[in-house]
Amino acid sequence: MADAGGNVAEADQDALLIERIRAGERAAFVAFYDRYAPLLLSVAARVLGERKEAEDVLQEVMLVIWNKSGDYDPQLGTLCSWAITVTRNKALDRLRARNRRLRLVEEAAVLAEDAGSSAYPSANEILHGRERAELLREAMQALPAEQRMAIELAFFTGLSQSDIATRLQQPLGTIKARIRRGMLRLREQLGGAL
Amino acid sequence: MIDEGMQEQAAAYALGALDAAEVQAFEGALRVDPELRALVRELRSVIEALAGTVPALEPSAAVKERLLRQIDQLPVAADVPGEHRPPQAPARPWIPWALAAGLALAVVGVMWQSAGLRAQLAAQAKRIHELTVAAELARSETDDLRLAVAKLRESNRVANFRIALLDSLLAAAPRTVAVSVWDNDRQDGVFIVRNLAPLPSDKDYQLWIIDPKYPSPVDAGVFRVDAQGNVRADFRAKLPIQTANKFAVTIERKGGAAVPNTKAIVLAGS
Repeated sequence: MADAGGNVAEADQDALLIERIRAGERAAFVAFYDRYAPLLLSVAARVLGERKEAEDVLQEVMLVIWNKSGDYDPQLGTLCSWAITVTRNKALDRLRARNRRLRLVEEAAVLAEDAGSSAYPSANEILHGRERAELLREAMQALPAEQRMAIELAFFTGLSQSDIATRLQQPLGTIKARIRRGMLRLREQLGGAL
Repeated sequence: MIDEGMQEQAAAYALGALDAAEVQAFEGALRVDPELRALVRELRSVIEALAGTVPALEPSAAVKERLLRQIDQLPVAADVPGEHRPPQAPARPWIPWALAAGLALAVVGVMWQSAGLRAQLAAQAKRIHELTVAAELARSETDDLRLAVAKLRESNRVANFRIALLDSLLAAAPRTVAVSVWDNDRQDGVFIVRNLAPLPSDKDYQLWIIDPKYPSPVDAGVFRVDAQGNVRADFRAKLPIQTANKFAVTIERKGGAAVPNTKAIVLAGS
């Protein structure tokens, strides 16, 4: 996927930022926080369905960024995607610590928000501006509903592919294929938007 | 060329949907395959876009203040990548003494009790403990669930939806629970049930919406649960819904009924 001009600049800024954070530069860490904290908080809140606990997760994630920036491998993704993955995993750890009934409500929230989130400004809009956010939203919405649902359930609820197959009453192979096709299609559609 | 199987794994890896053993195996392949690494990198950019579609939240100022205070107290990040190890917890010199005291008490206890009586008491204590834990679990689960539903209802993000928690009306199945999410604008909903006993083949569960506009509950379709008693079903009402006040589930003959069997209500809630 080719980066568009503005995105190269963002990637360069992030590369510089992580180097400075690795060197222990507090100002670089503050810059990282100011840039990505709203997005990471939004992801944690989506997974947990709760703001207070999401802020605790944000704090944990930021400490990981400060203390374990050496774990970030630029060959496997952008700094932002690494931070999102760390956030999602930490939020899911907390979610798993809750009981299974509570999980049910979180799942309902994910399903409800699938339909309703477009009415509110997205984290992409805050991070990338309205125009690019709209491109990203359109790409997501252009995805067949069954592919989008499988992808969102995997990412936001932490269900394994087998769990998703059980929940959606579909064969495991079907779910794996939906996720693969959906992700590859998004990769093509997003092109230089990221 | 990356085959479909590997593409599936790469997509699931980027989403975090592989289990620990699969991750280990996949990362082995990742280390030796630059083409696969490039694919993962691109798929992670997709995750970035997906994550950014959620409604934006701004962290409170207190989080940043707390965080900066915390990192100011930590050692500065090293030039060498890796983790700062937190200082070891201080040794606890009282532990050996406590263990010794506990052991001595246990020996005295053994001398005073006959083996049979002790076994009986232990079995009773275990049973009481199990019942206490089960009761506590049921109570806390219900409380947590109610709290979560209340929070969702307060949330602006789901303000357009009617979210109802349905409780079991069956004394024999207190752990059965369901959530209904109804979108009045779109006139459809999602219904999720856990721990509802599967029915014989000539029966179906039927969902009803209670709308004050109509004299009797409105049919919202039939559903069946899997062997574990779970289901997630999309539903629509047979009549236009103005206000979805309550939801209920009854047991009906296969295919459903025009009016609910009020003697066979298994779940209800608002």
